[in-house]
Amino acid sequence: MIINFDNAATTFPKPDCVKAAVDEAMSKYGGNAGRGGHALAAATSEAVYSAREDIASFFRAKPENTIYAMNCTPALNMSIQGIMAGGGHLIISSMEHNSAARPAARLAEEGRITLSVAEVFPESEKTVAAFRSLIRSDTKAIVCTLAGNVTGQIMPFREIGQLCREHGICFIADGAQACGIIDVKLSDGINILCTAGHKGLYGITGTGLLITDGQFPVVPLMQGGTGTDSLSLRQPDLTPESLESGTVGVIGIMSLKAGVDFVRRTGIGNIFRHEDRICRRFISRLRGDGRITVYRSPAAQYVPIAAFNIEGMTSEEAAARLDRYGYCLRAGFHCAALTHALLGTKNGAVRFSPSYFSREEDAAKLAELINKM
Amino acid sequence: MVRGETMNKCILEMPSYTYAQKAERLLRSKGIPSNIKRRSTGCGYVLHIFADCRAAAQLLERYGIPYVLRENGGSA
Repeated sequence: MIINFDNAATTFPKPDCVKAAVDEAMSKYGGNAGRGGHALAAATSEAVYSAREDIASFFRAKPENTIYAMNCTPALNMSIQGIMAGGGHLIISSMEHNSAARPAARLAEEGRITLSVAEVFPESEKTVAAFRSLIRSDTKAIVCTLAGNVTGQIMPFREIGQLCREHGICFIADGAQACGIIDVKLSDGINILCTAGHKGLYGITGTGLLITDGQFPVVPLMQGGTGTDSLSLRQPDLTPESLESGTVGVIGIMSLKAGVDFVRRTGIGNIFRHEDRICRRFISRLRGDGRITVYRSPAAQYVPIAAFNIEGMTSEEAAARLDRYGYCLRAGFHCAALTHALLGTKNGAVRFSPSYFSREEDAAKLAELINKM
Repeated sequence: MVRGETMNKCILEMPSYTYAQKAERLLRSKGIPSNIKRRSTGCGYVLHIFADCRAAAQLLERYGIPYVLRENGGSA
């Protein structure tokens, strides 16, 4: 028996409508989208555009500004490197996943940009103040996650968006742990939203999105075939094709469309309430004798993720023991060097992350098991 | 006559398939029929407009959809 509480890595199981969409795509959409004019290519192109339109409307964006990516990491790389292509000053938060922190650090190491890290506090106003204090005349962008991938702390992203607007700075947001869980839209002050498609949006792995409001042009990281202007050696300027060189992943895209439709039909509020109830009850069932540390603060708000450690064992040992009973939880450092430095978790932490398909009774049994360890 | 081939009044060259789709759907929502076709001169897409080309062009401009007028058999 497998009970997945590692949904922050990728959600599993997927909704039935996603499985059906994958089957349909395999049997109907076998052409290459945006290439060719024959019936198979046309049907596939139309389906990919329909998905783009649906997904764009979910985030209150324009279809032509909704770019398909392999997952959140390429979307963040495209955004960070594309916006900072001409140099300048970049600010990231101390809660960024390596998918944002590493491209930023590399650009800084190569001397192509200057980089500052804004400390994240449980209190939103302190975090916003930390960002504000780092803004300089040459600051070009702020990169901030909407919710941390280790503790699930929700960042004051609307306030950061406002700060960016006031200073004419591009706000690049990492929505990997937030999209599908909390309502996220470009009008929140986000200029570029990067997200995974396979987490809270319930698409299959290999799906992601870069959604831009078009205010800050993203210089393409890659050049290649776009299905248009084939005789020109110059990469087209217009999105989405300018940022989608090569064949798009049609099956993944159709799964993502179905996943987004599932989230829309179910309701983000209902999804959040279900997962949050499971997460809170899980935490409340853990014994309070000081042997279990849960990395949460009453001053902060969280998406339904809980990071914890058990005294006397490493996070990897704890997760390995839980695995023997069928519970899947992620241990270690979660590709988040900055967050673990902030938390001081030298042996990492165990991360509990439910999905809409998780059951409260499974979380209760897990808590009982942890209490006996 | 081959399926999808009808008399058209003008042909608009679109910068990408995405904009061709966006234009086709916009025009359809306003009662202006059109078809997406491959460009005869190579990779790319054109929109065959079967109605008032001037009205179609004005709509595309109002919604910020780029195009280039390639063949004008009508009133655009």
